[in-house]
Amino acid sequence: MKTMQHLTHLPWKELPRRYGAGALGLLIMGSLLVITVLPLIFMVTASIMPSGEIMRMPYPWIPSELAFRNYYRALAGHDESFIFVRNIMNSLIVSSSVTVTTVILGALTGYSLAKFQYKGRIVIFMMIMATMMIPFETIMIPLYMVATKLGMQNSYAGLILPFMLNAFGVFMMRQYYSTFPGEFLDAARVDGMGEIAIFGKIILPNTGPAIATLAILAFRSQWDTLLWPLLIAQSHEMKTIPVYIVQFAAERTADYGAMMAVATIASVPMFVLFITLSRYFTGGAAVFSARKG
Amino acid sequence: MNRKYPKKARTLQQSQDLWGRLFVLPAVLFFSIFNFYPILNALWTSLFNRRILSFAKPDFIGLQNYIFLLQSGSFWNSVRATLVFTAGTFLSLLALSLLVAGLLSRISRGSRFLQTAYYTPAVLSSVVAATIWLLIFDPRGIANQFINTLMNTPGVDHRWFSHPVRVQIATMVVYFWKYIGYFVIVVLAGMASIPKTIYEAATIDGANGWQQYWRITFPLLKPTVVLVSIMSMLQCLKTFSTQYLFTQSGAPLAPINVITLNIYNTGIRDHRIGRASAMSIILLIIMMVFTYIQFKTSKTDEVSY
Amino acid sequence: MKRIVALALMTALVASALFAGGQKEDADGPVSLTYWTHEDPNRTPLEERLIREFEAANPGVTIRRVTHPSTRIAELLLTAFAANQGPNIFNTQLENSFAYVANHRVAPVNLEAVGASSLEALLGRYVEGSLDPVHIEGKLYGLPLEVLNWSIFINDRIFRDAGLDPDRDYPKTWEDMVRVSEQIVRREGNIITRRGFDFRYSDYLIALLPMVEQLGGQLVSDDGKTAIVGEEAWLEFLRFMEQWGPGGQNLGSPTYRNARSLFNHDNDDIAMTHTGMYQQARIMADNPEFYESGEWRVVPFPVFENAVNDIAACYYGQYLMVNAQATERQQYYSWKFIEFMQQHAEEYLQIGIIQPSRELMESDLYLSMPYADVFAADMERARVVYHAGNSSKLQELFKTAVESVMLGGVSPERAYATLKAQAQEVIDEG
Repeated sequence: MKTMQHLTHLPWKELPRRYGAGALGLLIMGSLLVITVLPLIFMVTASIMPSGEIMRMPYPWIPSELAFRNYYRALAGHDESFIFVRNIMNSLIVSSSVTVTTVILGALTGYSLAKFQYKGRIVIFMMIMATMMIPFETIMIPLYMVATKLGMQNSYAGLILPFMLNAFGVFMMRQYYSTFPGEFLDAARVDGMGEIAIFGKIILPNTGPAIATLAILAFRSQWDTLLWPLLIAQSHEMKTIPVYIVQFAAERTADYGAMMAVATIASVPMFVLFITLSRYFTGGAAVFSARKG
Repeated sequence: MNRKYPKKARTLQQSQDLWGRLFVLPAVLFFSIFNFYPILNALWTSLFNRRILSFAKPDFIGLQNYIFLLQSGSFWNSVRATLVFTAGTFLSLLALSLLVAGLLSRISRGSRFLQTAYYTPAVLSSVVAATIWLLIFDPRGIANQFINTLMNTPGVDHRWFSHPVRVQIATMVVYFWKYIGYFVIVVLAGMASIPKTIYEAATIDGANGWQQYWRITFPLLKPTVVLVSIMSMLQCLKTFSTQYLFTQSGAPLAPINVITLNIYNTGIRDHRIGRASAMSIILLIIMMVFTYIQFKTSKTDEVSY
Repeated sequence: MKRIVALALMTALVASALFAGGQKEDADGPVSLTYWTHEDPNRTPLEERLIREFEAANPGVTIRRVTHPSTRIAELLLTAFAANQGPNIFNTQLENSFAYVANHRVAPVNLEAVGASSLEALLGRYVEGSLDPVHIEGKLYGLPLEVLNWSIFINDRIFRDAGLDPDRDYPKTWEDMVRVSEQIVRREGNIITRRGFDFRYSDYLIALLPMVEQLGGQLVSDDGKTAIVGEEAWLEFLRFMEQWGPGGQNLGSPTYRNARSLFNHDNDDIAMTHTGMYQQARIMADNPEFYESGEWRVVPFPVFENAVNDIAACYYGQYLMVNAQATERQQYYSWKFIEFMQQHAEEYLQIGIIQPSRELMESDLYLSMPYADVFAADMERARVVYHAGNSSKLQELFKTAVESVMLGGVSPERAYATLKAQAQEVIDEG
């Protein structure tokens, strides 16, 4: 937000005086901070609290003793098989694969739709955009039939293939490439560069920030998927984190501490990613403000 | 076909078109198999009286499923629940994010920190979010404690899961909580793309902070806002997991029986897959109409700097 | 542009043709079976072992056991069957299994595979009536994984803490239940921090419908044509629930955590819960200390003081069934494996799962199980849970009616009228 610097040189204390709504503004921002962060603090504190204390009124916030056993129960599961560890790996594998395919296919498709003039590209684009409106529950059963016919049940292929690409990825990359100067491409063609080389050597290397942003969005949304893995992953070895959580919660409704431990563990990889790459996380939003060339 | 090109250029053009088509082919194949085929399948199914487990050839009943739905109280209740949820969530997100982004752009320190903090819930998965909020909204949970401390009403159970209105608010809160940070950042990014020369001119004209905000920032944000609105409105219309997990945990169905949940229950619980498909097609049409309206309104007065 | 659209359409059509094929028959090679069941931590090691033993005894047969959360398995089975990809062997609650039989999705028992000379001989192995729900038009479509009923579990410590004597003061009637719960309940303001008893709000047909029937009401008339029979009985029941809820005496409500998992933790949360024999194994697993302390007991399902029928909570079952789309040989070995499971009934019983064979019910092991007599006595005065194609829809309407009087401030008269009208609509639609 560097462009806003000229507006933000004012020291914190001067705010209420400079802007009439400052005190109220601080209150609003503060309340929002409490609302967004408190549930997270609740999750973490409850995860190290003996289950009996969590539903005490008022909520103690600070545990009387550190119940790290919650974490053991969360990881070990009811049968001490530690299958959760495998499920975390699955989530990482599936989300990373989907991220890679989304980025490559999204770039290829977006590039084709933005920088080529063939007939029908608008229709293709519109049809792809229309898929954003399809609720997953609608196509769940036909999709399941497709997946089983292709022999993809209970496999990584089944978890990954239906999400290899999404309309948002195409949209975002097309937006990005529409501002890419065509002269570069023409010059490269005059130099006798092949189309594949152009895509690989000129287009992709110049897509850094957009790729980072799309990668994070793709990873995050895949990390979140529940219904499909629930259907397609049948053995415990193939399940992903959200499926594990639903299962754990169904078996241990009253073991609040362990449930919050599961929730915390499930969130750690995303938090780590978020902290290291927060620039790109929040940058993802910028694509919306991209104006036409 | 391409008459406007001279002969040599035409072949070049054609070869380029070929490459363009080649590049788009994987995506076309992908969407055909995993999106277009399933949705055409749903469209076809919606014309039949198909039961999910039945081997018998289903009867072709034309638009009967649609006619039934349009006369069904339960379906209209779902339309209501979906629209209420969408309007409630989406308007509060929009209003608050505009307000908070405006405030954030004015503070010198802590803006980055606040943005990050607001955004944090968005990295949690929906299942985790629902698990946390199910405990928070428990009668003994911190939602009641928080409200009771704030309003000095000790021991009142606000019945987040059972009161027909408050259970709707509860679902909105979960969604709002998850997406507010994202919205704030989108709006801030939109603000950052407004040329600062406009503000400089305004400052010379003597406009103060809030005047600048309402007269300059707000109208110029329109393209950003429209795009975000469409995306998030589609998300809201498609909402499923929060309502689903809430009803699974004992919340009453009717107030939060959004269309997707109704589709799921009609198809899976009641086995009426034909009717469920018809409902999906109607939902699809509703989304298309909303998108069309939003695009239309945004096109009529394009902003230029 | 038209070409592109045509291309997309064609791909879609080719895809649909590709995916419309049928199940293929396999030859004399090895047989692999899939068995879907609901998650039950106590049962997994036993069944994994049984599978290994069965595979050893039947070379060439492999069985893959897949577990799903009990809350989700019904939906997952449906989706799989809808895609013609159902498992070879599965079990599901009686209320759901009816649709599989009605739609010919499951195969009748292969008598040879289960080693029975005739259907009568096979039926004779089980307690009378226990196979009725899957014995349809002269064919038998399932064998029991378990058939069970629920009684009332009591935490003695909480009873004594509230000044009650569990030997004497345990509730015999629903009116007692209100009095006892009132004595046990603790609140902070309106918020309950300790409940006496609370209902099983997810299972209206099993647990709450019998209360209506005690008063003389019915969900569906005997001829199957009229819904919600007996206005007085329904109104009295709805008034009772209204009084139970936060708008009345505030003894419990569906918004609190489900009672039976809280019960195991012995956290001073809840004194009584409504559950089956399997709960004992779960208490042992969740909280061995509490189990060993012996500070809990099981008592019969109460009746209303003015009851016209002495009816306990319904019994219900999980039946093992075989996919009719499986090949001949898969079906044969599926039934053979199911029969193998039946032969280990005593081991199932040790983890609280009752396969109602005559042999088992008369065995010393069964008779020596804690509180087996209480469950057996309640079973005597129970009938099987309502099961038909529309049962889950009717249960949803039932739930809505009760919750609207308990939580929504709707009068019992209005809730009754709505319930009756909507349930009748469901019945008429067939």
